[in-house]
Amino acid sequence: MKLSGHRLALALFLGVIALWLVGMAVVMRHAALPPEASGTMLAVFEPGTPEDEVFASLTRADARIVKPSGLSFIWVVSSDEPGLAGKLRREGALGAYRELPVSPVIAGCFAFADAKVANLAQ
Amino acid sequence: MSPARPAHAALPWYQTVTVMIIAGCLVAIVNFGVRSTFGFFTLPISEAHGWPREIFSFAIAIQNLVWGIATPVAGMLADRYGSARVLMAGAIVYAIGVLLMSVTATPVMFNLAGGLLVGVGIAFSSFSIVMAALGRIVPPDRRSWAFGIATASGSLGQFIFAPLGAMLVSAYGWQQALTVLAGLTLLIVLFAAPLLSQNTSGRRPTADEADLTMKAAIGLAFGHRSYILLVSGFFVCGFQLAFITVHMPAYLAEHGISREFAGWAMALIGLFNVVGSYVSGIIGGRGEKHVPLAFIYLIRAVITAGFVLLPVTQVTTLIFTCSMGLLWLSTVPLTMGLVTVMFGTRYMATLYGFVFVSHQLGSFLGVWLAGRLYDQFGSYDIVWWMSVGLGVFAFLVNLPIREQRAPRFAAA
Repeated sequence: MKLSGHRLALALFLGVIALWLVGMAVVMRHAALPPEASGTMLAVFEPGTPEDEVFASLTRADARIVKPSGLSFIWVVSSDEPGLAGKLRREGALGAYRELPVSPVIAGCFAFADAKVANLAQ
Repeated sequence: MSPARPAHAALPWYQTVTVMIIAGCLVAIVNFGVRSTFGFFTLPISEAHGWPREIFSFAIAIQNLVWGIATPVAGMLADRYGSARVLMAGAIVYAIGVLLMSVTATPVMFNLAGGLLVGVGIAFSSFSIVMAALGRIVPPDRRSWAFGIATASGSLGQFIFAPLGAMLVSAYGWQQALTVLAGLTLLIVLFAAPLLSQNTSGRRPTADEADLTMKAAIGLAFGHRSYILLVSGFFVCGFQLAFITVHMPAYLAEHGISREFAGWAMALIGLFNVVGSYVSGIIGGRGEKHVPLAFIYLIRAVITAGFVLLPVTQVTTLIFTCSMGLLWLSTVPLTMGLVTVMFGTRYMATLYGFVFVSHQLGSFLGVWLAGRLYDQFGSYDIVWWMSVGLGVFAFLVNLPIREQRAPRFAAA
């Protein structure tokens, strides 16, 4: 096995990033919330969903908007009522995830990817 | 004495230079990465035990201090018994420390686990020990590149582990997250295994090196002017980086920059650091090392002065963090390279270890003094200007370094 310097560096970098993505995906799956969950969470919608549709869905689910994520289809929302995660899904969200102490954009991207895979697997 | 391997015999795949470089880089990724997640445990651990945040902070302060003090000791052991064994022992201590952090219930035990054990573990499995191994494995013309890729790997570890650690805490809770991280730390034992075959240290010096004892080498190094200049300059590196890491978010908040934006800006330091460290290794391999090293400190001073003089906006923040990221650990491959040029590879881990103590003293002062001066003057301005002044000082002390084998270290 022999690689020249820069190729080795690039291969190592890409390999580590690939492993990292797998690790993050696994952890994200465990951060997915069951339907009965409440509290603060990330609500993930299909990209391209018009904002008024997203707001309407959040209102119907009795979700209070905590903050935007930086991506228009992912919002940090909250509710004290039990079952917020289930309500969000019924109202059109792809999934609901624990609020993660990382940038909501990064968390949102992983949440979207996980929600998409989970929905396709069903 | 075992019979020499015939020249035509092929090495097993795990003993090839490429595999050993990859293994060393993976060690650096895990070592730096796990450490970078500790900030996410401050709140959950403090809340779970009903402790003030000071207890967690104190343990991390001890950890940094122990890391600095233990690095030359780890270096001495690596130079005597080989890097791989030290890396493996360090990984086990590191993992035990992280695991104990999840179960200790008293501040004293927490300081012992998270401060002492983790500090020793980090030092013994750190990328300086990896670099010492790589320095012996690769030919001299690729040495600087190898130092660069090892340093860049540490930076990459920091960048990728931080979000992973945060997600582990959120998904599994802090105790299980620490258990997972302890398990990941043990991967260092596996990654260090290929380096076992290259424990040439503690044996005869190479053809161009004088036969010195470790004690004599340390004594001679501290009597060598260029080494003292290098040690003095590296103090500045520690001061600047630790000050920015700890106090920059608060400084940005004071100037109306949002927490989210500050988080992104700080993350960019990590990303650009990967590129900067790698490129620095390449530059170091192409010519003199002390000149680019001196200019790194000067450019840091200029960038810092510009940042303080200009109004703090999102644009100036991004320019500052990206450019500082490029210069962040780019001092390391050049510093390690200079140690090797001056003293050879035989005691490189030990002698770099002492340089690193100076770095950690600078870190301690950068964090503590900045807090102290802020409390006194209600502003970080004086510390920013100290950082500029120290940058100029480091430029001046690195320029006269003589890039040649130190007297009595060259073979007669």
